[in-house]
Amino acid sequence: MTDTQPMVALRGITKTFAKRALVSNRAFGLRDINLDVYRGEVVGLLGESGSGKSTLANIITRLTSFSQGTYMFKGRDVRTLQRSEQLAFKSDVQIVFQDPYGSLNPRARICNIVGEGLAIHQSHLDATARKERVGSLIQEVGLGADCLDRYPHEFSGGQRQRIAIARAMAVEPDLLVCDEPLSSLDVSIQAQVLKLFARLIRERDLTMVFISHDINVARLLCDRVYIMLDGRIIEHGTAAEVLNNPQQKYTADLIEALY
Amino acid sequence: MTLLAKDTIGVPPDDILTVKNVAVSLTKGGRTMVSGVSFGVRRGELFGIVGESGSGKTLFTLSLFGLHGETEISAGEITFDDKTLFEDGKRRRLGRILGCRIGFIPQDPYSSLNPSMRVGRQITEAIYLARGTPPNSRQCRDEAVALLAEVGIPEPETAFRQYPDQFSGGMRQRIVIAIALSQDPALLIADEPTTALDAFTQRRIIDLIVERSRRRNLSVILISHNLELLRQSVDHIAVLYSGQLMNIFETADLGRNPLHPYTEALFECIPSVNKTLTDIRSIPGEPAGAGFGLTGCAFADRCAYVQDICRTARLPENTGRADSFSACLLGKGVRT
Amino acid sequence: MTARAEILGYPKNAVEKMALIIAAVIMLIAIFGGFLAPHDPLLIDFRSKLEAPSWEHLMGKDGSGRDVLSRLLTGAQLTILSTFAVIAVVLVIGCSIGILSTFLGGWADNLLMRIADIWLGFPPLILALGFAAALGASLEAAIWALIFSWWPNYARLSRMITADILSQKYIASASALGVPTWRKVVFYIIPNAFDVLIIQLTLDISAVMLAISGLSFIGVGAQIPAPEWGAMIADGRNFVNTAWWVVAYPGLAIFVTALSFNIIGDMLRRELDPTLRRNT
Repeated sequence: MTDTQPMVALRGITKTFAKRALVSNRAFGLRDINLDVYRGEVVGLLGESGSGKSTLANIITRLTSFSQGTYMFKGRDVRTLQRSEQLAFKSDVQIVFQDPYGSLNPRARICNIVGEGLAIHQSHLDATARKERVGSLIQEVGLGADCLDRYPHEFSGGQRQRIAIARAMAVEPDLLVCDEPLSSLDVSIQAQVLKLFARLIRERDLTMVFISHDINVARLLCDRVYIMLDGRIIEHGTAAEVLNNPQQKYTADLIEALY
Repeated sequence: MTLLAKDTIGVPPDDILTVKNVAVSLTKGGRTMVSGVSFGVRRGELFGIVGESGSGKTLFTLSLFGLHGETEISAGEITFDDKTLFEDGKRRRLGRILGCRIGFIPQDPYSSLNPSMRVGRQITEAIYLARGTPPNSRQCRDEAVALLAEVGIPEPETAFRQYPDQFSGGMRQRIVIAIALSQDPALLIADEPTTALDAFTQRRIIDLIVERSRRRNLSVILISHNLELLRQSVDHIAVLYSGQLMNIFETADLGRNPLHPYTEALFECIPSVNKTLTDIRSIPGEPAGAGFGLTGCAFADRCAYVQDICRTARLPENTGRADSFSACLLGKGVRT
Repeated sequence: MTARAEILGYPKNAVEKMALIIAAVIMLIAIFGGFLAPHDPLLIDFRSKLEAPSWEHLMGKDGSGRDVLSRLLTGAQLTILSTFAVIAVVLVIGCSIGILSTFLGGWADNLLMRIADIWLGFPPLILALGFAAALGASLEAAIWALIFSWWPNYARLSRMITADILSQKYIASASALGVPTWRKVVFYIIPNAFDVLIIQLTLDISAVMLAISGLSFIGVGAQIPAPEWGAMIADGRNFVNTAWWVVAYPGLAIFVTALSFNIIGDMLRRELDPTLRRNT
């Protein structure tokens, strides 16, 4: 894969839900999505709740399937991936969720939560090596080694989010998808985690898909953004273009509505 | 309810609500969650209370009027509409204050309406409780429809007959506002009324509250974790942290108002339009839980200016009911 | 706080502490009862039948001259262990089906759960009679009958819990990491289901015990001379007015044991339920 080819290329992605649609009167979750993510960039998916951002995130991470369209990852059609390649995909794409309270197994210790990915994808590492890796990851996200033997409920929302990030980074993914990772956090903690993301992007040359309803945050992190409404992409471009000079009325309204 | 001589607690006559050195404790166990809070809300003004988790902002505000199930006022004086609510360790009878003089808009619009009662009826019931107008009368019905129109519900006559689940979150919140307004309250308490709503709806609901307040000369206490939202919407803001009152300032001319280090730090956290990543300065550490007490400043461990005195001295209280107040022991942000 | 310290903090009043102690004692008796019995529980001596309680025989003798206390202690084994046997089997079978059903999803899930629903409609008593007819009335027959009628409870309960757990984001994170299904079941589902299951289990202990004793009492379970508590009551039925100790002591034993486990179950429900919502 050359750098001119996107890491993620979605064409015509459509997702329909079963007849008993969860979203009121909407059988279509996503309609005709075209999206690219190039190596090293941060792409923002912006929109209101119900716009389909999370569904799209799940499709990119292959947590859910799509009904029509193609998804090329690193030049390969994901539907043609063999068994072993599918597992490798999971170490290439990782996700951090919005809710820090539900995203960690309440009955597992932090060291196991963060190290589980290593056990699966880097099984050549023995227990000691794994423990070392986990320790350095925990420090990288700004937590102390003393937290490794503890359980999630002993930590605050911001700390749990850091643990979730450490877990995702453990397998050294090419792409990190973040689904509204700051929305459930206190204001002062949002700034902390935001800076953590910025640092990781810088230091690890991370490629990221950042989902948010907060345009101001997106402005700070994203290189390019896609604006979503009702399951479609209605506008996209570089962050500066779209957010300073929106072409669509919806986008302009959205920018103006925020405090 | 006794009409207290104003001199006793020095209540300014145009205050709808005055709180002085109020402390709130848990009924079970007596742990003090909020202490030493003093401020005043004028008639017709919008007053914001901001805080992060553990600040005690909701707990405090609800406890003032006995709306919180697990707390009690353990100290201080509360005067509402010239009547004493709490003084000398005793709560005076609240009586009909709650329904009629105070309106309440809770956080979650999805559970604050009775799902099996038509919307119109929920409003007429409120009117009946406030004014005794028979709920089935033409007059009552007309008032309710007018209120629905006032809060921006399209086709209010149809809406009158509908059930809550036929409305979106934003619409439901408007209905809740209509119910609150129907009793013609003197004070409206809005507890994070837009957290569950999307950005557009949030803007519209806040605008609605602000506009109704101005139009009806209605005082509003708006509780939020969103400092920027409050800055753009209300007249004064009180900042709570870990159960302590840190700051009160006017929003009209922010530059003129010296701010508490915590408030300053909060403003620096917020990603707003003109900031770059380096402009954003995060606050180290975690927000402290409620119930810090009055000795030492709860923010000391996270404050850039901290000195020894910050951990040992007793926190100053706004006993003078100033509109501009900073609890900083180092004197930062205090108007000279 | 360590798990043990946490558990020791659970009982909040004297009654609960008492219940824990009694339950522990009963479990010990169930294991060691045979050795503790002062006399041979099966030794018949018609000359001393219906003898009143004395220092020699603290609980008196029954209608065949057997020592009641010894029978009680030995019978603990039968009653308690058969109860636990039922619970254990039902737990394993029911939860396996429930968890499997959740993972299968779709029509298979529906089918299994509807089967469980219908199965629940079967009156356990009829089943017990059927087993008694097939295998001959015995404790085994009662155990089989109860296993047969009880597993759907755990199938439905475990399915509900599993479905709830699977909807949590930490499962999605595990999927994203590529955690295999067996690991999800062992490290994610079972540990998180444990709290709810243990509550149900404890309450069921008393229910099953009453059922087993009940079945023995009416004659389709354990048969005399086996010292199962329910059977002992049946045996002494005719002497309620004259030799009350023959019926009273086994009855008391059943009552106290069932009540203790019930209290423990309620205590667990109170202690564990809030922490199930510990996340918020």
